[in-house]
Amino acid sequence: MVTETVTMMDPAGLKAIGAALAVGLTGLASGIAEKDIGTAAIGAMAENEALFGKGLILTVIPETIVIFGLVVALLSL
Amino acid sequence: MLKPKQMTRAVIVGHKNILEETVDALHKANLFHIEDFNEDGSDLKIGKPFESGSETSKKLVKIRSIASLLGVKDVAVEKQSPAAVCSQLDNCLDTLDEELEVLAEKKRVLEAELKEISSSRKELLPFTTIDLDLDLYRGYESLAVFAGHVKGDPTPSISQVTSSYKLYYDQHSGIAVIFVIKDKAAEVSEVLAKALFKELKVPALSGVPSELIAGLELKEADITRHMEAIDAEIETLKLKYADFILASNELLSIEIEKSQAPLRIATTESSFLIDGWLPTDQYSEMEQTVSAATNGRAFVSSQEITKPDIKKVPIEYDNPKVVTPLQEIMNLYGRPTYKEIDPSSLIFITFPLFYGMILGDIGYALILLGFALAIKKLVSSDAVKPLMNILIYCQISTLFFGILYGEFLGYSLASYHGEHGTTPGLIQGFDTIELLASPFAAGEIIGFPLHRTHLVMTFIVATVLVGLIHINIGYLVGFINENRKHGISAAIFEKGSWIVVEFGILLAVLGYLGMLPVIVGAIVFLIGVVMLVKGEGVKGPVELPSLLSNSLSYTRIIAVGLSSIYIASTVNLIAFGMIWQPGSPIGVMTIFAIVVFIFGHTLNTALSIIAPGLHALRLQYVEFFGKFYEGGGRKYDPFGYIRKYTEEK
Repeated sequence: MVTETVTMMDPAGLKAIGAALAVGLTGLASGIAEKDIGTAAIGAMAENEALFGKGLILTVIPETIVIFGLVVALLSL
Repeated sequence: MLKPKQMTRAVIVGHKNILEETVDALHKANLFHIEDFNEDGSDLKIGKPFESGSETSKKLVKIRSIASLLGVKDVAVEKQSPAAVCSQLDNCLDTLDEELEVLAEKKRVLEAELKEISSSRKELLPFTTIDLDLDLYRGYESLAVFAGHVKGDPTPSISQVTSSYKLYYDQHSGIAVIFVIKDKAAEVSEVLAKALFKELKVPALSGVPSELIAGLELKEADITRHMEAIDAEIETLKLKYADFILASNELLSIEIEKSQAPLRIATTESSFLIDGWLPTDQYSEMEQTVSAATNGRAFVSSQEITKPDIKKVPIEYDNPKVVTPLQEIMNLYGRPTYKEIDPSSLIFITFPLFYGMILGDIGYALILLGFALAIKKLVSSDAVKPLMNILIYCQISTLFFGILYGEFLGYSLASYHGEHGTTPGLIQGFDTIELLASPFAAGEIIGFPLHRTHLVMTFIVATVLVGLIHINIGYLVGFINENRKHGISAAIFEKGSWIVVEFGILLAVLGYLGMLPVIVGAIVFLIGVVMLVKGEGVKGPVELPSLLSNSLSYTRIIAVGLSSIYIASTVNLIAFGMIWQPGSPIGVMTIFAIVVFIFGHTLNTALSIIAPGLHALRLQYVEFFGKFYEGGGRKYDPFGYIRKYTEEK
């Protein structure tokens, strides 16, 4: 005999998964974007140390992505 | 305060025979930023360095090589009189040079000996396992000697070839020494080759290897002792002459700088012309100094600053002393240009403000405040001090927000009444005082202290509002800058248009809420966009979405803050919730819990410098400076020297 069990998704759990996806995926995205900028910035800084400020700014620009992700996660919880 | 120091362009002209006096006076005054002269397309010639230069540079090279040999470090010493140093200079330099040369030579010889000993030791070491007198290895007429590494005992295989041999074999190290009659040498060699024989060179010494090595060890210890004695002698020399070396190095560096000054100056056959910049308020001071040094024979005049010159004006900050540490943050980005507002004073407020809003924890504020004060006291480096001062400013702000948020190392100080009952605070009997319902989010109640973890929505909206204020201050400063540089109409179209656009959006939002027709907002918005296109071209409307992303970017203030709280409270939970509960008996677990607590919070303290610091910095650099700041000004670098080891003449 095969019995069919009805599974119910807990809305709170789904919310949590959604929030985790929002933070996790945007975190990955920030990381991928920052990786390229960071290497280029360090290369530039090796040539000219005065570029530290600009390099730092350019490197942290994609950080906004994960911040948005975090905000979305906080809003959805 | 909001502007760089006012500068004057000055030209000094005179006859060549007073050039040296003039350069001397300028160097001493340490005021005049010399504009390097460029010969291209000019009838004037670059000056020739003073004659004393080559002699001085020889001495300087000598003193610097001595300093590096002795390992003299820059330390604060008592200032010496230049006259005394000068009179000693030649004598001292020669004796020092000689003494050091002798010592260095002795050391070199000893080092060579040491090397030799270590290599003969390496050669002898394999022979100690057999320990035959080394003379026994050579001088035979009818015997051949094999000495080396083999794989496995070669006795059986050699016995098959001949019976007249003598073999010493050490199983442990695999060293074998075989004496065999010469006739059978070739065959034995073949057999050995099969056993992977690797020949060792017999050292050209006589005696038993183990005794020889003992002798070498004695010799080595002796040499090491000698070298230590020489090092001690060098150390005494260093102690004795360090002050002198530092002082004379400084003195000679100054001389070199002066003697090479003509290379930056325009000259004709009999006159010179020095072009440069200095702060306007010090112009008369320099005029007096120069005329006093040359009996009024050099002519100083101020020049009008022409438009192309404005880009070249060297920039000296003009800020109150409390603001000066923030200049480091400006330097990191680039000094302001001459006509621009210097935002150091603005970030003096906003940088610590954002840092404090992000971190906002009494515990971390106190730890980092103590840390910064200690570093400031212990390290005398000029590079570290401003950074520590910035950290102190930030911690004062953090302390303020920490009290406002009621947080201590991730614990909430006050108890909180929420939907799920009451969470107790760290301080017994300290209840949250509820003031009003949050206008931004249903169910969130603003009170004292502000529980950030329970007011997320309110804080997100509030931080965006703070961001909008910050961004608009940026547009305002941009407006002033633009007005100064390109006039009022450019300012209105380029920067004012943004404010009109924002106003339009605000009206539209009010319209959406039903307070007035939406069309009003739309019209104002469109007017703003048209102004923007006129001011900035196509690039203006393309930038429009940045208004949204920039202001949303300020939500990082709460986002990064929350992450810090959660790390801290997780550490607390692991230490005093999972490992050991307060109230349960004290034991090994208590110690373990305390270790976890300290380790976790140390980690979070380090993160508390980096994360809020970088994010607060980024909000200044990207969101704020992006609205108005150009930067890229030249540093004001006056011709002169700040003496550390010698007194001013």
